[in-house]
Amino acid sequence: MGAVKLLFVVQRPPYKSENPRLALTHAIASQTAEIYMDDGDSVVPTVVFVGDGVLNAVKNQNAMKVYGVTSTENHIKSSLMIDMPVWVCKEDMARLGLKEDQIITDAEDMGAELKTTFVSYADIQKEMEAVKHLLFF
Amino acid sequence: MKLAVFLSDWRRTEDTFERLKADKLGVVLVGNGIYHAVVKEGGKDSPVLSKAGASFYVLSDDLETRGYTAANVNSKVKVIGYGDIVDLIMNDYEKTAWL
Amino acid sequence: MGELTLGVFPSLVGSMSLDFAFKLAEAGMAKGHKVNMWLSGNAVMMAKKGQKAFKDYSHNEKKMKELIGKGMEITVCEACAEARGYHKEDTPEGMKRASMDWYLAKTVKTDRLLHIGGE
Repeated sequence: MGAVKLLFVVQRPPYKSENPRLALTHAIASQTAEIYMDDGDSVVPTVVFVGDGVLNAVKNQNAMKVYGVTSTENHIKSSLMIDMPVWVCKEDMARLGLKEDQIITDAEDMGAELKTTFVSYADIQKEMEAVKHLLFF
Repeated sequence: MKLAVFLSDWRRTEDTFERLKADKLGVVLVGNGIYHAVVKEGGKDSPVLSKAGASFYVLSDDLETRGYTAANVNSKVKVIGYGDIVDLIMNDYEKTAWL
Repeated sequence: MGELTLGVFPSLVGSMSLDFAFKLAEAGMAKGHKVNMWLSGNAVMMAKKGQKAFKDYSHNEKKMKELIGKGMEITVCEACAEARGYHKEDTPEGMKRASMDWYLAKTVKTDRLLHIGGE
């Protein structure tokens, strides 16, 4: 089968629902999925935040300090650290009054080189068409 | 892309559905999504049914569970069973999205 | 015949999306398809043995066992289960526990994926 592309679409805000967290933890699990796969197969996930889901990508989250749980920010940074693309929808940021400097753009503190990508909804639509499976959270 | 979208809610907080596009789009109304097939709020069809180019389906079991029958269903919507959903997923569409 | 994988995340009791998943799995198998199921998030409680059947609550354990007996592969997210105090010894016979990578790996070979997200 070779490399199979998956798109994880996060459409809801963080914390009240486990959905956004599960999207990130499942996508990150692609790193170890090879133990269940044939040689040469792999999964290539992209996580995209759309609609109110872009609120997951707001930086300076303190969930660990306040509630003792890993923040969604930490999971996003972990995703960047393993070179997993993280996309944020530009139109939804604009609709919610979010500027790029309010968003998690990198994980340099964790040694990541990959940065968050700001994309149009049209780019997301193209990716939906390109991947084998869609997973809406 | 050939996409089957499963709508399981009556009121939704996301606008993902409105933005989804596909060359072939099937909308399968299940769970509380069946209300889009039978309720005319303010005398009007659900806006879901105005999705251009889409084919609409509603699950008979979930209609019956909620007190409706095929006789109540909007003429744009085809009443189907679980076996039909399997066929839609496996034969008619390439991808699915549960919203 | 094809292969269908269901990723199921909603609660055992409440939304009835789990009931939907099992009925769909049954219909898929009746048509000769191979069906896999991944239970994750709040759906993991589906996979805890010893559930008592009340008529006020969804109850799918019997159907789940029937489908496992007919060849459905069903795996529960180990971390999600442990976080909810549901341990290996609570797992019904025939059901597997694995980390999330099991689900990711299934997406490679399966013909179709229906990912039923949680509440």
